[in-house]
Amino acid sequence: MTSMSKLLALLLAIVLAAGACTSSTTDNANTDSAAPADDAGETSDEGEPSDDADTEEEVVQLVQDEGGTLDAVLAAGVVRCGTRDALPGFAVLQNDGTHEGFDNDFCRAIAAAVLGDADAVEFIDLETADRFTALQSGEIDVLVRNTTWTASRDGGEGATFLQPNFYDGQGMMVAADSGIASVSDMDGTVVCVASGTTTEGNVANEFARLGIDGEVLSFESTDLIQEAFIAGRCDGWSSDVSQLSGLRSAFPDGPDSLTILPDVFSKEPLAPAVRDGDTAWAQAVNWAVFATIQAEEFGITSANVDDFLTSENPSILTFLGVEVDGATLDPGLGLPVDANYQVISQVGNYGEIFDTHIAPLGLARGENALWFDGGLLYAPPYR
Amino acid sequence: MTDTAPTAADQPTDPPLWSPSPSGSVSTWLKKNLFRSRLDGVVTVVAGTIILIAGFRFLRFVFVTGRWQIVRENLSLYLTGSWPEEHLWRLVVVVVGLALIAGFIGGFSAGRIDDDPSRAVSLAGRDRLVDLGSRLWPLVVTVALLLALTTTIGPLLVAAGAIVAAVAGNMAGRAVPGGMSAVPVVVGVLFLTLAGIWLLNAGLSWNSWGGMVLNLSLATISIALCFPIGVLLALARRSEYPILRWLSTGYIELFRGVPLIGLLLMANVALGFFIPNSLAPGKVVRAIVIFVLFTSAYIAEIVRGGLQSVPPGQIEAGKANGLTPIPIITRIVLPQAIRNVIPALVGQFISLFKDTTLAGAAMGLTDLLGGAEASTAQADFRGQGLIAETLVFVLLIFWAGSYTMSRESQRLETKLGVGER
Repeated sequence: MTSMSKLLALLLAIVLAAGACTSSTTDNANTDSAAPADDAGETSDEGEPSDDADTEEEVVQLVQDEGGTLDAVLAAGVVRCGTRDALPGFAVLQNDGTHEGFDNDFCRAIAAAVLGDADAVEFIDLETADRFTALQSGEIDVLVRNTTWTASRDGGEGATFLQPNFYDGQGMMVAADSGIASVSDMDGTVVCVASGTTTEGNVANEFARLGIDGEVLSFESTDLIQEAFIAGRCDGWSSDVSQLSGLRSAFPDGPDSLTILPDVFSKEPLAPAVRDGDTAWAQAVNWAVFATIQAEEFGITSANVDDFLTSENPSILTFLGVEVDGATLDPGLGLPVDANYQVISQVGNYGEIFDTHIAPLGLARGENALWFDGGLLYAPPYR
Repeated sequence: MTDTAPTAADQPTDPPLWSPSPSGSVSTWLKKNLFRSRLDGVVTVVAGTIILIAGFRFLRFVFVTGRWQIVRENLSLYLTGSWPEEHLWRLVVVVVGLALIAGFIGGFSAGRIDDDPSRAVSLAGRDRLVDLGSRLWPLVVTVALLLALTTTIGPLLVAAGAIVAAVAGNMAGRAVPGGMSAVPVVVGVLFLTLAGIWLLNAGLSWNSWGGMVLNLSLATISIALCFPIGVLLALARRSEYPILRWLSTGYIELFRGVPLIGLLLMANVALGFFIPNSLAPGKVVRAIVIFVLFTSAYIAEIVRGGLQSVPPGQIEAGKANGLTPIPIITRIVLPQAIRNVIPALVGQFISLFKDTTLAGAAMGLTDLLGGAEASTAQADFRGQGLIAETLVFVLLIFWAGSYTMSRESQRLETKLGVGER
């Protein structure tokens, strides 16, 4: 009997040790979140939820998790942004460990607007299948991951989609010497697409609409499609136009050996998304995106933004958070007064972001031009 | 995936399935082993052709057609992920420190063996170097390759520092008087390991761990934690107390019955549904917890197999000598039990090492494999089908690590005389 009781004691000791490990990790988490909260309390003049006694802290945190992402982000001092690691042009992990891309820059714009520091972003690599779960469970604060805004996603995924930062559409790429000038010429052809996306169905729908027959071949990865395409197994290659442009620009035989047909047969507005029921945070994200568009409308870039601080135009001064007639405008979005200035000076306007990351893919502005240039980008007035 | 069930200890004394006859010529050997019957001949020719063609094409890829620029330029991404450059010194300190500790342990145990006249296998300096080279050649080759790929002098200095530290540690270990107990050494090593983890983490979030460093850390920490837990679970499963037995059995069957990647995905995206995000630990900690939970269940079953292989007479002999139960377990049963299951245990550890790539895939951590995937999307490399080059590099790193673990475990088996007693 005594032998077994000693064994029991040994086991208990181990369980205690394991318990200590677990509690120490939670301790870490607590100190991690508590320390920045103190900082925020010191620097911010707005009434942050004060650090209550330990017993109430958990309650406050829970409420934050359900509602106030904006408060949680301010307390943490960092925006957790769901993106990709390997999406050409949009989000790519560089060899020096930095994240560069169109989506990454919009994450930075959000951080610049909310926290005044474009580098206060934690990029979280998400698989396509996990992205909405990560948003729902609070793993990320905002999803900027090349995600198409559709009705069923808006309604069914617990996500609220905001101002699109990129208007994409599905297109068709063919060999330049194939003699195909539009999708209606493609009767009896084979089209290759990536599996697990809506691309496949869109091609079939378009073929049915045009009353032509064709075969759709699905592949697991882009590299495999490329091989099949080079081997002549596919007549057409269908994907979002932004993707096709990137593939075309890096095609081994040179971009001129491929043509992207003028037909665009689906609407793919790519938009940032936040959790449902969190209006304050949604507005903050939305106006960070608008800031980049509005800045381009005004012609303000990261290079010349400081010149505009002494502009004659009161609209520009208001937009940049400069005093006009002795007062600055705080629209009550929960953002600092100089949020727009920070976005432009640290990240740049929409055109700059586009030119840095998307233009090298060989893609023209198209729908992503400003409204007065024939595009769809339009920022509500900042007043 | 870690699905291979633990098998009984391989018996090195088994007669080999085939062996070239020592006296016969090449043609008789060929005839006896490859062309014994007409069917054998056909199989040999077909399989040989396929293997030769595949081998030729692979070698041609590695040495001629492979475009290795992507690996060269992304070396730091593959090895350290997004580790900030201004914190790289922490890694350097830890690498050199690890070399020092490894050298010290090697020297310490060698010194103790040398002092024991019955086991002295002391080698002359040159033989020792050859012995070390033959044991660690996969690591040596890989490190040499990595150094050849780097463009800066820094890694070379780090490697030199690590070698110096290892030699110094080895000499210090040998200098320790032979009669000294191993307990302070074990405590010291544990303390230094924790200090190393702290150093890696101070001022940095767990989430900035990446690349090969992440795979190695995940594997090392998880192995160190899951082994004692697995042993305790195995003991509990054979306990006389029903509650302990039920708890242990329930735990083992639960975690052996779910897929590892499912657990990792749960820990990644679904933890927020159970506990508030502000209280949830970082992703690396979550991954370690999952690996420990999962692997300790397998370890428990492996060790239980070992426990069953110890004859009851051993325990009775201990009791007859007046030993209390804990010394019976720790000094008589466990040493024999674990010695018998070393191959299965090491197999499980190797499996865990390789499964750390699942943490990268399922949790969005940029591990070695994740870095390799990301690099193929960079502006300089995208759309050129370079995934093969990056994957070959990743496989080489994992193979070097796994093969070294395997070799060292075989050496341990020989030393402990597994299968001979």
